[in-house]
Order: sequence, then C-alpha cells, then structure tokens
Amino acid sequence: MLMAALRDMQWRKRRFVIAVLSTAIIFAMTLVLTGLANGFRVEAAKTVDALGVDVFLVKAGASGPFVGATPFAPVDLGRIAASPGVIAAAPIVYAGGTVTVGDATRNADLFGAPERGPGMPAVSEGRPPSTPDEVAVSSTIGRHVGDDVEIASRTLHIVGIVENSTALANLPNIFLTTEGAQQLVYGGQPLVASIGLRGTPAEVPAGYRAVDRDGAIADLLRPLKVAVNSITIVAVMLWIVAALVVGSVIYLSALERLRDFAVFKAIGVPTRNIAAGLALQAIVVALLAALVGAVLSLALGPLFPMQVIVPTYAFVALPVIAVVIGLMASATGLRRAVAVDPAIAFGGP
Amino acid sequence: MTVGDLYIQNLVVEYSSGGYAVRPIDGLDLDVAAGSLAILLGPSGCGKTTLLSCLGGILRPTSGAIKFGDVDVTTLDARGLSAYRRDKVGIVFQAFNLVPSLTALENVMVPMHGAGMSRRAAHARAEELLTRVNLQDRMTHRPADLSGGQQQRVAVARAIALDPPLILADEPTAHLDFIQVEEILRLIRELASGDRMVVVATHDSRILPLADRIVELVPELATTNRPPEWMELEAGAVLFEQGTMGDLIYVLAGGECDIVRQLPGGGEELLKVVKPGDYFGEIGPLFNLPRSATVRARTDATVIGYTVTEFRERLGAGGARDLIEHRPLSMD
Repeated sequence: MLMAALRDMQWRKRRFVIAVLSTAIIFAMTLVLTGLANGFRVEAAKTVDALGVDVFLVKAGASGPFVGATPFAPVDLGRIAASPGVIAAAPIVYAGGTVTVGDATRNADLFGAPERGPGMPAVSEGRPPSTPDEVAVSSTIGRHVGDDVEIASRTLHIVGIVENSTALANLPNIFLTTEGAQQLVYGGQPLVASIGLRGTPAEVPAGYRAVDRDGAIADLLRPLKVAVNSITIVAVMLWIVAALVVGSVIYLSALERLRDFAVFKAIGVPTRNIAAGLALQAIVVALLAALVGAVLSLALGPLFPMQVIVPTYAFVALPVIAVVIGLMASATGLRRAVAVDPAIAFGGP
Repeated sequence: MTVGDLYIQNLVVEYSSGGYAVRPIDGLDLDVAAGSLAILLGPSGCGKTTLLSCLGGILRPTSGAIKFGDVDVTTLDARGLSAYRRDKVGIVFQAFNLVPSLTALENVMVPMHGAGMSRRAAHARAEELLTRVNLQDRMTHRPADLSGGQQQRVAVARAIALDPPLILADEPTAHLDFIQVEEILRLIRELASGDRMVVVATHDSRILPLADRIVELVPELATTNRPPEWMELEAGAVLFEQGTMGDLIYVLAGGECDIVRQLPGGGEELLKVVKPGDYFGEIGPLFNLPRSATVRARTDATVIGYTVTEFRERLGAGGARDLIEHRPLSMD
C-alpha cells in the first residue's frame, strides 16, 4: 500500500506541499532558536578560550570569575604564581560597561589582563594594549586600529582588533591592561575579579576556589539562563505546533480516504499495510519538512542580530525527531484508518 | 458438497436501528453450486448487500452458517477473514470504488500488492487482466478519466486479480447506461465458469436471463384485487409478524390491537394501541416492503383486510397521498 500512499500524496500534492512548507518554517524557526541558544554558549566558550587561562581563582565562597565575581586584592599573586603546577598567573578584571562609538552607545564586556597574558587574547590586527589608555576591541564594534573609543567617560586609543569577540548575546568584548580596567571599573583600586592561571596548580591555595574553563563559561552564560530557558520553551511549543500540522494533515487525509481504506480491507489488504501507507505519508511529510526547514534555517540565521550557530547534531536530530513526532501526531489518523469498517465499501457513491 | 459450492444454513443477521431490532436476513437457507451465476433479487433494504457482506467475510452474521467449499466462513477470526477475503473472494462494488489517485493499472495491482506479489509480477498480471476486459489502451488513465462502464471493467479486473473462486457483485449495473450494461453483463457471465461462482445482488431485472440461479430475498406477492376480508381475532392472536410480507391493509372494526416492534436482544416495545376505525399495515403492501411491526389482538377483535386497490377506493379522491400520510379514515 506504499504505492497507494505515495500516489495519494501526488494526487493531493497541493495540500501536502502546504503542509511541508508550514512544517518546514516551524522546523526552521526551531533550528534558529536552537542556534541562538547554542550561539550564546559558543561565543562564551570562544571568549573564555581566547583568554588562554586554564584555571581561574576566585575567593572561596564567591562565584565568578566574571559575572558573579567578588572583587578582591590580589595579595597572594606572587605566591600563587610560584606554586607547583602553575606556569603563569595574572590579575584578571571583568566588568560590564558601555562603549560609545560615534553617537551610539552600546553595552560591552570589559576585560583587564596583562599585555602578555594570561587573560589577553590574540589580536588579529595591531597589538595588545600595553598602557592604561590603550584597548583592543572586538571587530564587531566596527572600529579600526588608531581610532578612539569612549568607555565610561574616558577616551581610549584602539591599538588592536580581536576577531569577532563577543559574549552575553553579541555584546562586543573590550580588552584593556589590568591597570586600565582597574581605573575604569574600580576607580584605580588594585582589585581583581580573579587570578588567571596557566597550567594546573597542584592544589588550590587556601582561601580560594578554582574555576575551570567550563565553570567560567557557565558563569559568563548565567545572565542568559532565563533567556535560554525561554527559548527552549518556545522551541518545545514549536515542536508541538509542527506535530499538530503534520498530525492534522495526516488525519484529514485518513478521513478523506476512509472509503479507500474500506475497499482495501474488503479486498483483503492486511490492516498493517494500510497503516504502513499512512505512516509513510507522515514520514515523507516530516522528512521533507525537516530538509526544507534545515535549508530555511541557514537562510534565516543571518537575519538575526545575534549569533545563530546551529549545532551539527541539531541537523542530524531534526529528521529523526521530526519522524517520531510525525508518527506520534498521526496516531489518531492511523487509528481511524485501522478501525474503518470494510462494509463502508458497499453501497452507493 | 464439492469444492467451491456455497452452503448457507439458517442465516440470521440482526442489527439495531433507531433502538429497534431489524432482521434484514432471517433464517435464510441457500445452496449454490460451483461455477454458477446466482442472482440475489429484491428491492432496496431487503438484505441483498447484507448477504453479500456476509458471503464476503465483511459482516459477521448473528447466527447461522456460511460454508464456501471447505471454508466455514462464520467461524473465522479477523485474521482468517482477511485471508479469506484476499484468497477466496473478489468484489465488484456498486460505486466501482476505484482509488481515485491510482491509474487503472495500479488499481488492479492493489490486491496483488496486498497478497505480497512482486511489483513486476503484479504489473504483468494487471496488464493481462485489463487487456482481457478491453482496456489495454486505458491502463494509465485515472478513474476520473474513464467512463462508468470502463471503471466497472477495471473493478472487475481488480476483483479477479488473484483468481478467486467467488466473485460478489453489488448492483454492478446501477450506474451504467444501457450500452455499458451490455458490456458488463457479458463480462459477468464470462466470469462464472469452471469452478468460479458469481453472486450478483441487484434489483435490475435485465440481468435475470444471465442467471443460473435466482434467489428472491423478498418474494413478490402476487396481489390480486379481491373484496375486503373480515377476520375475527381472539385476544392474543397475531395478525401479522414483523419482517413478513403481506398484501392487505387492515381496518379495525371492533376490539383493540397492539402494534409492537421487536427490540435488539429480545423483548418488544408497544408502539400503539389501535382503536376501532383506525387502520394499519399500509406501508408494506404499498411499497412491497416487509412489515415493520407485529400486530396482536389486545382483546377479541374484528379486522377488515383490504387490498391496496380496494383501500384506495375506500379513501376516495385523496388516494395514495392520504394513505401515506395516514389521514383518518371516513367511517361512512
């Protein structure tokens, strides 16, 4: 009955095309939302990895090393740098701030670290900042080496560009020296958000807590947790809508073909073959919708003002989930088809 | 009984309609020999299609036995019935019932796919069958592009796709003009050969000359006009039974009668108590239908039985309309 199912799809192709496109748009939106949530994580991971810090030390009992950090004086820096397993240690400053470029002011993430790190990312153009008045900025800010930017009422000179460096939903990252950041954030007091270590300390110094890169990424993502959860809820709702679209199309198809099913049964076609035909329609609709949805998501992603990075596993999982959802959604139609009375085949048109 | 003979014994089909028990088939006995063309004749509602459904393993009778060859159809389970329908029965439906999205060729291939035949073999067999019914140049046409007769020929080809020994045809000429009817009649007659039996349900008398056996499910009553009959009934006596045929319309001259209808699973419901001067039992004789209720004397009663012609005369100028609308009878 697979042939009959495919022919029926050709016969009612307009309806199935509409169903495929509708479902594809929903799948594309689901993928985009997944890409948005993943984009937050990817940009946070890129930022943390770019700092070149293996372990962040924060005060015991405090969170951090970025968003939830409690500033402290790095009085133990020398002793920690000399401890076993530590290759290098540096005072790291972090704060949220604003940057004014031309007439526009936008939020930014401010990082302070020594010129040679750890904590200072590699620049794609120019050089890292070496004085408190110099900055390296993300390329997404649209400025060049030699330009000035205004941060917290101070005018700073751009000496380096860091390629596509963002965090917290596409906010540009600004990198200063530790002193420069302390002047902006702490009014010049010698405080830090964390001590960044290269290498792995043999033991965590007393009074401190070690945060690895994953912990640092999670800390940087913390403000977005509500947004990510909301996106996840919307994505789940979209899955439900997609299931309803596929399910209703298959159910309508089943209702309109009840007489056909009755005839099939009356001439001895096994019920399982009839159900398989209808299930095939659900699978074809779901798979085609997943394919078109994947292509659409690639087109829709760049339209968003944030990074949409759809993970590869999502493209792989989409058709699988789509088929499962399509079959579940078609259960009502399948039940209707299976239960049809072959006696319907008798009687007039 | 030989292979391919059909044997029906005391077949009863009862279902509930509007809360009342209806027995379109009540105690039918029938034997049809293999290779015969049997015609089930009768008006609409007499149980022709119901009987076909039972023969085709689609409807389970309430009681009785159907044996086709060595298969006791009435004892088969759902899986067995499906296999019986596939292997033993081919059905030609009244409304053709071709799948509109499939070509003529694909429609004929459907039962073969259902039986697990390979696509190549099914294709070759379908081509052969459509050629046999003179549709070799219409194989790729969809049903909507075929005439009624051509559609019915495709349906016949589909019915014999698996070479079943029993072909059931439900009103096969119902939607055809006289030219198309001729084609289909010839085809149906050809099908009943060798061991293959064809059972046709119809009320089309044009088919009758084809038949080896005619089964009148509701015998036509040879009604002759005759004077009114007076009958005396003792209390409790039954005047007529639900489901029987009769040619008289009754007027109650004295006493009282109950009109009762059978309920599903036994029991009965009192529909009306007839009083002197009232008349009843008019629809059955008028439309040649079985009685829809039983009439029993509540007290000692006197009834007068009229033929339809006599009764119309009794009604006067209003005639049939007054009768159908059950207008009160003038007792002059």
